[in-house]
Parts: sequence; C-alpha cells; structure tokens
Amino acid sequence: MIETILEVKNLKKIYGSNTAVDGVSFSVNKGEVFGILGPNGAGKTTTLEMIEAMRPIDGGTCLLDGIDVAKQSHKIKQIIGVQPQTASFEEKTKLTELLEFFASTYGERVDAREILADMQLGEKADAYPESLSGGQRQRFSIAAALVNKPEVLFLDEPTTGLDPQARRNLWELVESIRDKGVTVILTTHYMDEAEKLCDRVAIMDSGKIIALDSPDKLIKKLLKRGFKKEKQVAQANLEDVFIDLTGKELRA
Amino acid sequence: MKQIRPVLTFAKIDIKRLFRDKTGIFFIFVFPLIFLLVFGGIFGRDTDISFSIALINNSDSAFSQSFVEQLDKNEIFSLNQEITSEEQALEEMNRGSVDALITLPDNFGTVLPENGYPSGTAEVLYDRGNEQAGVTLGSVLESVFTEINAEFVTVETPFNVQVEPTEVEGLTTLDYIFSGLLGFTILSLGVFGPTTVFPRMKERGILRRYHTTPIRVWQYFAANVLSNSFVGLLAVTLMFVVAVLLFDVSMRGDYLSLILLTILGTMVLFGVGLAAGGWAKNENQAAPLANLVAFPMMFLSGVFFPRFLMPEWLQTVSNFFPLTPLIDGLRLIITEGKTLLELGPEIAMLMGWLVLIYLIAFRVFRWE
Repeated sequence: MIETILEVKNLKKIYGSNTAVDGVSFSVNKGEVFGILGPNGAGKTTTLEMIEAMRPIDGGTCLLDGIDVAKQSHKIKQIIGVQPQTASFEEKTKLTELLEFFASTYGERVDAREILADMQLGEKADAYPESLSGGQRQRFSIAAALVNKPEVLFLDEPTTGLDPQARRNLWELVESIRDKGVTVILTTHYMDEAEKLCDRVAIMDSGKIIALDSPDKLIKKLLKRGFKKEKQVAQANLEDVFIDLTGKELRA
Repeated sequence: MKQIRPVLTFAKIDIKRLFRDKTGIFFIFVFPLIFLLVFGGIFGRDTDISFSIALINNSDSAFSQSFVEQLDKNEIFSLNQEITSEEQALEEMNRGSVDALITLPDNFGTVLPENGYPSGTAEVLYDRGNEQAGVTLGSVLESVFTEINAEFVTVETPFNVQVEPTEVEGLTTLDYIFSGLLGFTILSLGVFGPTTVFPRMKERGILRRYHTTPIRVWQYFAANVLSNSFVGLLAVTLMFVVAVLLFDVSMRGDYLSLILLTILGTMVLFGVGLAAGGWAKNENQAAPLANLVAFPMMFLSGVFFPRFLMPEWLQTVSNFFPLTPLIDGLRLIITEGKTLLELGPEIAMLMGWLVLIYLIAFRVFRWE
C-alpha cells in the first residue's frame, strides 16, 4: 500500500512580472527518492524552498505529512531536514558544536561524535567546517540535516562540484538514508545521478513540470517514439575509465 | 525550557568561537586597549599640570644651592638639567619643550652685611605665547619666597588666602576620558561587529541554513545578545584592570551599578548593530551603514572630546544618541560615585532605545 507523504497542488511563486513557479502539482510517496530535474532557472530550488517553509507560497497548496505548509511552517520545520544549495557553516566552530546547536533548535540532544562517526567524519569531530573537503562538507551538511530524525530529507544539488569518488560515496549515503525509511527529495543536474538514485523524477522547465515518472518509464516512452542516439553508446564511458583507474575509495 | 536551550547552546558556542578568532579578539579587546594606552600615556596621573623649566644658577652662595634643591623637589616644576646656557634655554623655549627660564644672578643669596640676611632677585623669563606658564611660575615662586622670607623676618599679614582642593583625590583628564573609552569599547563591539558579521553570514548562506530549522528570530537574537553582553562585560573588565593598574584611574562608584549599566549599554548598542546588520543584504550595504551610525556617535557622544566643548545645539542633538547616556552614566558612576538609582535620565534614555531598536531590528531582520 503506497502512502503519500507530500501533496503539492498548483503551487505558484511570483516575483513581480516573473512567475518563477507556475502551477506545479505532484505527490511524493513515503520512503521513495524523488528527484526534481531541470536546467538552471527552471524553478527547482524555489519549489523546494516553498515546500520547506522557507519562502511564502503565493498560490496553491502544499500538504506535508497532512500538515499545511503555508499555515504551520514551524511544525513543518520540525519534521523535515534540509540541505540547502551550497550550505555553509560558521567558521571556527567544531563540527560537534554545530551538530549540538542544530539539534537544540529541534529541542533534541544528540551524541554528535556518534553521528559523525556514522558519517565517516569521526576524525573530524573537533575540526572546523572550513577544513573539510567538498565531499566531507556535503556529508556533514547531510548529517546536520538529519539531527532531528526527519520524515523527509531535502537535498538541493547535493553532488555539485564533487569528484567522482565523492559522488558515488554520497549516492551510497542517500541510499542508506532511504533504507532507514526517510523520504528523500532532491534536485540535480546530473542525469546519471537521477537515474541511479531516484524512484521517480519530475522534469521542470520555466516553472512548470513537463514530465513526471520513473526514470525507466520516461526512457521507454522516449524510445517508443522512435528515438535513437546518433552515436552508438559504448559499454563504458570516460567516467568508468576514471573510476577504474583511480578506484572507488574516497579521497581527502 | 525547550525554547531557551537553543539560546544557551548558541550563546555558549558563540563565546567559544570568539576566542578562536584573532581578528575578533583584536577589535574587541586589543584595539580599545591601544586607545587606553595612548590616552593614558598622554593624560595619565604623572603628567598633572607641570611646567618644564630651565634654571641657570650664576651664584655660588650656599643659599642659592638649597633654593635650587627646593625647586627641584617641587612637583609643579620639572627641572631640565641639560640646559646650562641662556641661549640653549631660549632655543628650547622656542620649540616649546621648555616653558620658562629662571635665572639666579651672581649675587643671589649673598648675605648682606647690614642685616645679616641673604637676599636676591630671581629672574623669570617666559615665552610671550605661554602667558599661563609665566603667571603660574611667578606666583609659585612668590609663595616660595614668602615662606623663605618668613624665616628671616616676621611679618604679620592681615589678609591671607587659603587654597584647598575640593576633593581629597583629584580627577585627572584620564579619569574623565576613561568613560569615553569604555563607551568606545562597547560601541565597536556592538556596532562594528554585527554589521560585518551578519551580512557576511547571509552572503555565505549560513543564516539561510539556520532558517531551515525551527529556530525563531527572537531565539537567535537572544543568543547573540547574551554572548555579546558577556563579551562586552569582559572587555570592560579588561579595560578597567589595565586602567587601574597602569594609570591609577580612580573608581568612586559601586561595581554592581557599573556592571548593570555595561550590560544595558551593550544590549542597546548591539541592538543598533543587529538592526543594521540584520537588515543589510551584503557587506557593501552594511559597511556604509555602520559608519553612518557609528561615526556621529563616536565623535559627538563624548568618546574622544568632552561634549561640553561642543556648541549647544550639537549637545542637544547628541543627547539623543544611545551612546551618550551610556558614557555619561559610566562617567557619573566612575568619577562621581553615583549609583544606578541616581541615573534616572540616562537609564530612561537607554531603556527607550532598547525598546525602539529591538522593535526595528525584529522588523527589518532577514535571514538571507
């Protein structure tokens, strides 16, 4: 039995004469990884931010776990975890301190060292965020978004700027989070990432959703229309070569 | 309690963070200390009104020797021993490093055969531009001579002047300026800090990240007010310790009043910084705003110049700056021993600002 955790209907965001999000509707099932794809400026981040209760909703409704986002933004924030695009943390602050602070905003106490150890950041517990590598920073950012054991985790472009090893590592992390029953909603520019991680994806352009289905079905639909790639796809690509040569282990 | 814990957690982290940040430490603790050292060096207790004088003794009488010794002991004069000729003395007077020249002629202090007393006339030469030095020196020497004369001739003087200082301990210029320097410490902590830090945190998305949590603006404000009040108190304490140990600055009031006023002042001035920094989107917006707010206060609220030197209309205007009642209040506690209860107008003005500035800060605050 599929349970819906997020129900978005006709969501709108208008900046002056520019309609950034133009009547978006979709629903997300509990426990799935849902991707929102689209070129820059398509309205992905704005859509996410409205659902996250970060930005006022100009039109439409949004129900998360049965709670109206527009009316009870504070309650929404209690049950979600958010990793914003290019998340950054205050300098000269130990990772443990940051996690303790984030937890306290939810009225929770956490064992920060244990969380960091789970995230392969155990050695960095007393380090400052400015000393982390890109991949470590993203993992820490996700750790911080999980301190309140959220129902839904939002990840805005989680792997942008990471090296192939760190990307793969993050994919595994996202899968393990999903396996614990957390619903994940993410945006990405990388189609291989969406194909690998997402149970279903919505493709946005100019503030509207233009396609929504599982990656497999979307591909099949395209092939049915007689689409053929100009160049025959090889059994491996350059990234496979790179990973084969440099290994899967995470660097730095 | 659940609402307060994030406030305490954040404040604690914020204070720790400050001590890891060298730039912050410099601007909050070291910078005001430098001012204190500079002003202390200029206006400290050692340099009460004193005149630098040159003395040329052309006499070899025993009396003239003991006269010179007596002058040397006098606190009002500092005798420049290096000057031995009139030419040299005149040159130094031109430069302003010597205020006056006293010449004792060769017959100074020789015992007159007709009455057996030593006598003579000391010549005082002073710069025309330094009338004050000349007059003071003249009258001081006169009183020295009166005392000496009394030893030889008993004269009944029907009218006398008795001069006594009003207070036991004299206030130095530094005592007066010190309150201004404390005000400066709190001003730079309260205004320059947040107007740089908050916009930078917005640009880097740090505040946006906080906004994704259920933290409320008042909790974030309260945490910052708490940590900054603590740091402000610490900075003022440090200034006090240095001022008392190094410059013998006198504290006449009670420390409880001083602590409470410091906290109130820090809260108000931090509110000013919070309103400006909380409103500004980026550093380009914040920096001019910080200067616009801080500089008039710095110059008109009595940090570096006493306000009574300003034209009356300017004093009226600066009466309404939040820094003015803080500095006035600190000064009244430190130099006049007033308690908080006696500072009605100052406290009222600060309280008014406290309410107003936080209302503004709440209204204009943005997380990104």
